[in-house]
Amino acid sequence: MLFSRRLMLGLAMAGTLASALTFPALAGEGPTEIDLFFPVPVDGKLARDMGTLIKEFNDGHPDIKATAVYTGSYDDTLIKTRASIKAGKPPAAVIMSANFLLDMQIENELTNLDALIKADGTTKEQFLGQFFPALHGNAVINRSVYGVPFHNSTPLLYINADKAKEAGLDANKPPQTWAELTDWAKKLTKREGDKVTQWGIAIPCAYDYCGWMMETLTMSNGGRYYNEEFGGEVYYDTPSMLGALTWWNDLVSKHKVHPPGATPGPAVSTSFISGNAAMMMLSTGSLTYVRENAKFNYKVAFIPRNVRNAVPIGGASLIMPAGVEADKQKAAWTLIKWMTSPEKSAWWSRATGYFAPNMAAYKTPDMIDFLNKNPDAKTAVEQLDVAKPWFATYKTVPVRKNLEDEVMLVLNGKKQPKEALVAAQKAADETLKPYNAETSLKLP
Amino acid sequence: MTLAEPAALSVAASAPPRLHIARRFTARLKASLPAYLLLLPSLVFLALFTYGAMGRVLIDALYQRATPKAPLRFVGLDNIAAVLADSAFTGAVVNNLIYAVGTAIPSIGLALLFALALARTNAVTSALRAALFLPVLIPMVAASALFLFIFLPNVGLLDHYIGRLLPVLPNWLGDPDIALYAIMIITIWKNAGYYMLFFLAGLQAVPEDVMEAAHLDGAGPFMRLRYIILPELKPTFLFVIVIATLNAVTQVDHVFVLTQGGPSNATNLVLFYIYQQAVEHFDVGKASAATLLTLAALMGLTALSFRTMANREGGP
Repeated sequence: MLFSRRLMLGLAMAGTLASALTFPALAGEGPTEIDLFFPVPVDGKLARDMGTLIKEFNDGHPDIKATAVYTGSYDDTLIKTRASIKAGKPPAAVIMSANFLLDMQIENELTNLDALIKADGTTKEQFLGQFFPALHGNAVINRSVYGVPFHNSTPLLYINADKAKEAGLDANKPPQTWAELTDWAKKLTKREGDKVTQWGIAIPCAYDYCGWMMETLTMSNGGRYYNEEFGGEVYYDTPSMLGALTWWNDLVSKHKVHPPGATPGPAVSTSFISGNAAMMMLSTGSLTYVRENAKFNYKVAFIPRNVRNAVPIGGASLIMPAGVEADKQKAAWTLIKWMTSPEKSAWWSRATGYFAPNMAAYKTPDMIDFLNKNPDAKTAVEQLDVAKPWFATYKTVPVRKNLEDEVMLVLNGKKQPKEALVAAQKAADETLKPYNAETSLKLP
Repeated sequence: MTLAEPAALSVAASAPPRLHIARRFTARLKASLPAYLLLLPSLVFLALFTYGAMGRVLIDALYQRATPKAPLRFVGLDNIAAVLADSAFTGAVVNNLIYAVGTAIPSIGLALLFALALARTNAVTSALRAALFLPVLIPMVAASALFLFIFLPNVGLLDHYIGRLLPVLPNWLGDPDIALYAIMIITIWKNAGYYMLFFLAGLQAVPEDVMEAAHLDGAGPFMRLRYIILPELKPTFLFVIVIATLNAVTQVDHVFVLTQGGPSNATNLVLFYIYQQAVEHFDVGKASAATLLTLAALMGLTALSFRTMANREGGP
């Protein structure tokens, strides 16, 4: 076992070395070859759609040969991109979770796109002006553009309209506040004795999703998750987050209308599709999956508020890692602009359920047609008016996990919300300490 | 050890005078040169991919940066101290111990049971052996992906059947009290068939005449198992225990796929902790220090067990 694995590894390495040595010599005059790393973070057949998109690009651009490389989840894509930057062979472009850009910029892993925008003869304002304003926060760092929004999302409330009708509720008038949502969830929960046969609501909590849902609930409760202007602070131990976590916990342990424990996103959507959960909070990125698989009428609605209507954006931007050669940079820039153009943006949005970040996408005839047929796709776009940036800090992933681990303990009934948030804050402060030592606490 | 020591003494006693040492050395080298040449290809790859990497880990474990943009500086054993002080690491060690004991004993027990039941070869036992060996053939990642659906709360295969018996359905992978055991079940399912092979081989070595003699003396099946089969299988046991322990430390594919160490670090094993430090926290120093600690523990364990094995074979 061990030996054969080592041998395979050796052979694979030798093969890569050999191809790396011979390829540049062969490439010479051919098209510029570039790699695009792409994650598949939500349900659906995104990988196949990406293949279609890249093939179309290559057919239209004979001087460039782009290859789409599937790199797993958002977190995995960050890890693989970092590994390839370290190895000195970064991909020319990556579809990167929008909240990792700040961390990468702090670690000097991103190419500043200002020069490429200037070379096109456009100003930064004109360039950014194409995209919904809510998306700018995660794409611009220190007034420089580091990412181009590609597919974005907001969290939505999905409602099984048939079950709502059974319970005497009207899905066309979805719950607006946490109080109403709690009431709906109670009415939609079915029990046989102690056993729950249908849950009122399910909210996902697995690494990555859990932090995003906590930000969603905290923002609807009037709070902020992090300091939008500075990557060294998070606000875990605050009344707004305490209220958010306490309500989530109440749904589980007090009202018993939400399945206990931490449930990953795919389990939540499966539960909704199978009718086991009557409502769920999930990314709009799952909308196409729900549309194609739900055998019942469903409705999507804004995330209900306790204090105000506010949600974080989600999704990903196209970025260029640091250390990409000039000719590949140029080719990648062509690809990035093509992929974020109104037509392609609109096509991708229809294929996936993400909304199109390019505002002009909603003026294309195909999209107008599509929205008329599928009015549910409008909700995420309308919710953009109240959307704000996604949390992004120094070491975003560990700082987020500091919170997620504690939230999971609460949902499992192992800790009280207050106690958990104090612990999360302490852990996050510790993770952020080196960055603060270099910035906010580095005094003259 | 009992064998090795007298041998070493006799060499020392017959050692030639100092003058001849150099000449003897060159002569020996000449004689063994072809052997070294034949070993060279493997040595090169071992150096590149095993010893080189280990050396690098040793060096990396001694360096750390104070702030993200500060240069690396030598910190000696600080990284090791930091790892030992990290509650996530000690948690992972405890998890790993539970995991190692909780997977090794049941899977070895099952393997022995299967082997005893299927020791005789005929059409039925061959088919059953193949069936029991099947999980070994499925890659761990693929098996984990399957179990992802089996363990799905409320709608998964397991809950579909068990749900009729239990009032409250467990969230197999989302409850920190259960998640580690769910992971252990997969490991036992996957490894029992593999260990069965070793026991089947071991059973072939049980001398037929001794068994017959015992039979004639009126020893029942239990007596034969207790006094003949189990003692004969002792070397197999030792070997399988070593393999099972190593597997418990080196196989974390299912943790990656199913839980990512969660919920709340409940399924965080040592190797996954190292991965987290290296690629999530970007802390190469701490990751290397944790790797060194693990390597040291594993090498100690392996040396101990192989010594025990050598003792047995060399014993009376």
